[in-house]
Amino acid sequence: MLKAADRVNVEEHFQSSHTNNWAVLVDTSRFWFNYRHVANVLSVYRSCKRLGIPDSHIILMVADDMACNPRNPRPGTVFNNANEQINVYGDDVEVDYRGYEVTVENFIRVLTGRLSPSTPRSKRLLSDEHSNVLVYMTGHGGEGFLKFQDAEEISNVELADAFEQMWQKQRYHELFYMIDTCQAESMFQKFYSPNILAVASSKVGEDSLSHHVDPKIGVYVIDRYTYFALEFLETVEPGSRKTMGQFLRVCPKHQCISTVAIRTDLFPRDPDKVPLTDFFGSVRNVEILTSTIQLDNVTVARDDGEYCR
Amino acid sequence: MTEKDDNRGIKRQHYAALGVGFVCVIIGLPLWWKTTEVYRVSLPYSDIADLTNVKIKCVIDVDVINTEPSLTDNNLADLSRIITASLGQGQEKVVHSSYRVSVRQGNDQQKSEVLKTADVKGLDTTFSKQDVLNHYQMVLLPKQSGVKVKRSHVSNGRAAYFTTAEKDLQTIAQEITNVVHSIFVKESTLLKTFRDRITSKRLKPDKESMRSVKSALGYDILFTLVNPQPDILDIQWDIKQAVRDFLGPLSEKLKEYVSLNIQSQVIYFTGLYKRPKKDSKLGEFYYTEKDLPLLINPLEAKLGSHASSNPSLNFLVYIPSREQHPLFIMDQSGSKVPSNSFLSPRWGGIYIYNVKSPSQNASLPHEVSLNMKQVMEVFISQLRLLLNLNNQIPDSTDVGNQAIRLWELDGWLRQRCIENLATSIHTLQSLTQLLERISNIVINDDIGNEVEEALSGIRQSQRYLAVGQLDKAFIQSRKALAASDKAFFDPSLLELLYFPEDQKFAIYIPLFLPISLPILGSLYKTFQWMKTKRKTKQE
Repeated sequence: MLKAADRVNVEEHFQSSHTNNWAVLVDTSRFWFNYRHVANVLSVYRSCKRLGIPDSHIILMVADDMACNPRNPRPGTVFNNANEQINVYGDDVEVDYRGYEVTVENFIRVLTGRLSPSTPRSKRLLSDEHSNVLVYMTGHGGEGFLKFQDAEEISNVELADAFEQMWQKQRYHELFYMIDTCQAESMFQKFYSPNILAVASSKVGEDSLSHHVDPKIGVYVIDRYTYFALEFLETVEPGSRKTMGQFLRVCPKHQCISTVAIRTDLFPRDPDKVPLTDFFGSVRNVEILTSTIQLDNVTVARDDGEYCR
Repeated sequence: MTEKDDNRGIKRQHYAALGVGFVCVIIGLPLWWKTTEVYRVSLPYSDIADLTNVKIKCVIDVDVINTEPSLTDNNLADLSRIITASLGQGQEKVVHSSYRVSVRQGNDQQKSEVLKTADVKGLDTTFSKQDVLNHYQMVLLPKQSGVKVKRSHVSNGRAAYFTTAEKDLQTIAQEITNVVHSIFVKESTLLKTFRDRITSKRLKPDKESMRSVKSALGYDILFTLVNPQPDILDIQWDIKQAVRDFLGPLSEKLKEYVSLNIQSQVIYFTGLYKRPKKDSKLGEFYYTEKDLPLLINPLEAKLGSHASSNPSLNFLVYIPSREQHPLFIMDQSGSKVPSNSFLSPRWGGIYIYNVKSPSQNASLPHEVSLNMKQVMEVFISQLRLLLNLNNQIPDSTDVGNQAIRLWELDGWLRQRCIENLATSIHTLQSLTQLLERISNIVINDDIGNEVEEALSGIRQSQRYLAVGQLDKAFIQSRKALAASDKAFFDPSLLELLYFPEDQKFAIYIPLFLPISLPILGSLYKTFQWMKTKRKTKQE
């Protein structure tokens, strides 16, 4: 029997208005001296995973393989701190687009879903109108563009158009855009689609700086903004009540040296009331099943119809 | 050199310049224009724009069959008038239903069978003979009928039974209208579905629209048994048989409309990472509703990924470990949830199955086989919610092993059809908007064909809906959805996107400037020479 009457008092809406979380994390630069960008993106990847976004919902694009670079004194590892306590390359890193696969075209294809039919599921952003999407980018940029692979660049207009197409095709519910590069603010100035919250490591005309060198590796290992953002994220637990508002205030000028820029006019909610886990984690809506249907035992002789494929 | 030779030389020079100029302008320019042109198939833009004002009409057949002898043909004519008047409203809406009502006397066989049967099942066998999709039978039972029905009863087929005892025609008509509007055809839900999908603007979605997976050609269903301690409990589950027995009928009914791709797996040595709370008095463990959202993600990472890009649904049976046994889910009021299961919208469900722990002296691993009927009861209930088959009604009817009532199937088809149409229309409009804005996107023939196919699908689906052929309408709407998605997501739409207008100059100037300057310069000179020559001739 369907005890449907039990449901009458159940609330009409779920607690949060999204059902799943996706993350697109992109490092656009290659070569050994850009070690820190790979460390940046892997650190964010690690935080997302720790807070509950499964690998199947993370598209990780890393333009170069620092862990296997011949100049890496400790092969197979990537560290984001001179203390070398956390190997962000870790045991289970699932890089979806690697090396020369990281192109503007592929990035836009992932966002807009215009991939060839043979693309595997793990390389697709299969978000829907109830998905919250986190887009993190790091690399070398200038006013209005971000360089990919030393060969090409994505402009802020192209990016804004890609987000608009995502919105048109109902591929996100809310989108959080985070970028750590020079003149990063210019990348989100052209956005015009609704429900986007954006943060950038520096204003137009400012450079974003790296944090510190690891003398054993010989290069800078992390950028300032990402360093302090991670420091904040490390204090967050999956059930935490920390808000996006707090996150947007991370890394004041005396720490970052550049000015962190934010954009909230497209975002209808008050960031101080949005839990951080709406974008970084994956706190799902759940519903308790109050009643079940009743089945009868099947005893009749059955044919050999095969349903289990 | 004489003056004459000089003149001839100049003359030849000017004619050469004219010749080169002629070739460049008359042949070169059009050739360049033609070869660098962006190939764009002409799309039916105006037809797509017209879809904004589309109105969808669903025709539904309602037959009222009378088996009560005291109601005369005149009564029935009155009844028909009242029902038609009360059912057929809301013509101006974007999605509206129109009812073909036919009120008639039941034939003798029906009348005699109705009197003979004593329960609803008997009635069902009588009236299920004429069971047609999108065609509902409202049966007026005789006063001395043996079937005890409280006011009205909705069957698992496409019939509803109404008592006629102590009712006037107005009440009967009212009840029939209520049943049609609240159960068989939920007009407001259809309208809402359409409005939600046709724009990108979104309101805060309600549970129903968030919970159920989007309309798709197929769904991947994955059943997983999670056994954290296979060294202690050797769990056996006959999932193959269970799927065949309990999911088979559902799969069979839906197979023409959607494919369910069912798989199963067992995973060991992994569990729910969040520690449950302990009730030391009873020696039981429990999760509260607040804990549940955090249980899914660590498990999901272990589930593996599906091969297709269809929406996937996961159903997990979790066997609690010996240290956390028995494990229950508490609701907000602090009582145990009888089903001991929960679901996550668009993802699937988890069922915690408590298995009796082996005694201290038992040899390990202890073999236990699961009661699959119990498991499937939970999962099919969840599946009904996730596929949005469930039309929650306060009338407790046994859906039985069929797992879907026929009128639920109709309602599902109708809603999905409307959803597909709205999504497809919206996709086409977004696509044309994109193509109009960015002028150097190539539109190849494939995209043109897909757009045409989507348009024809939308039109045909509308046409079928308007004549009440729901199944065909659904198939066409599905075709339209697939075609419009394919057009929108076509990989070729990106190929020339990154060739902005200002970059064209950067490419052409180094090529054309060195060639065009001398040509234009000598042409200018030639024209001047011709002018002066003409003047001297006239003089």
